[in-house]
Amino acid sequence: MDTGVLLYCFDTPTTQYHKLALKCIDLINKNLKLPITVVTDHETHRHFPQFAGTTYRLVKQNTTNYRFYRGHNIPWYNMERANAYEHSLYQTTLLLDCDYLTFTPNLLELCNSKSDFLLHNNVHDISGLNKIQTKLESTIPIVWATVVMFKKTERVKMIFDMIKNVQENYEHYRNLYRVKFKNYRNDYAFAIALHQLSGQVNHSNFIPSAMNMLPHEFDVLEVTDTSVVYKYKDKVNVVTDTDVHVLDKEFLNDR
Amino acid sequence: MDIGKLKKYSDLAHDLSVTKRNSLEKMRSRQVMAYNGRLFKADAQTINTVSTLKAHAKQFYILDSNDNPCHIQDPNDFLSKLIARNQETLNTLSQLHDSLQRRK
Repeated sequence: MDTGVLLYCFDTPTTQYHKLALKCIDLINKNLKLPITVVTDHETHRHFPQFAGTTYRLVKQNTTNYRFYRGHNIPWYNMERANAYEHSLYQTTLLLDCDYLTFTPNLLELCNSKSDFLLHNNVHDISGLNKIQTKLESTIPIVWATVVMFKKTERVKMIFDMIKNVQENYEHYRNLYRVKFKNYRNDYAFAIALHQLSGQVNHSNFIPSAMNMLPHEFDVLEVTDTSVVYKYKDKVNVVTDTDVHVLDKEFLNDR
Repeated sequence: MDIGKLKKYSDLAHDLSVTKRNSLEKMRSRQVMAYNGRLFKADAQTINTVSTLKAHAKQFYILDSNDNPCHIQDPNDFLSKLIARNQETLNTLSQLHDSLQRRK
């Protein structure tokens, strides 16, 4: 197949990611109209109905990673992404987080590019409070592994092999690049792999626009077919017809 | 004027500012377009550059958003696509701007 979307989705003891993935699949079908492959485990897979155009690839995930979320460390199954090159059925792949909601067809433009590997290096905090990035998080500029367009080329295979190497030796690379966060983060693994593979100079091909993000401090109240309604303290706002990476996961569970 | 009214005005001004920032970012995201396998921003700078080069040459080279060279063999086609995308995004922004004006 020529072009398709690859999603990773694993429920954790604290978060029902499959609910978010179902919304994500719905929006991809509506706005990108591409075939989808969901990489998941047996436990999560039983929540997915059969969709036309959606393929499931079952893997056994056995990671013990965690992330800091609203004052707690919670389980985070994010290690499988390094295998995206092997997991993808497509010549051109849009690798998306299942919490990245596509309300527009904008990502299709990336697939028409000659570039074989594109991802964001800029982020736009839609809350207006600039809570996403702080200074001095590492000695390497971050890239965002949330949205990655890649093609099956020899160079891209090398990039993913390098990402696997970074993942296997993450403590070494984390110290080398002075990454502040102790847990494994794909964003830094991708940034480090690209830096290493580019001869230790900055990688230059990125998605030309910033990635819209809603910080986890903001409660998502509703996700409709066109918008995300969110709340911070006593203020309610809405973002409409804009692709957005939603960091709040509480709305998936019963509040 | 009582402080409650001033706070309300300030809250509204903040909401409008955030909405405007997000609308501009939404416009920029939509302005990214692929042409001849390269990615360009359909913004005023690209349109002006293409328009100027087109006035002097039937074909030319231009750098894309990632500084990769692209051979433009049909400047009229490229320029019309850039303008169409640019005006589509500005039309959307203009409608939102009008609705924000009514909220003030």
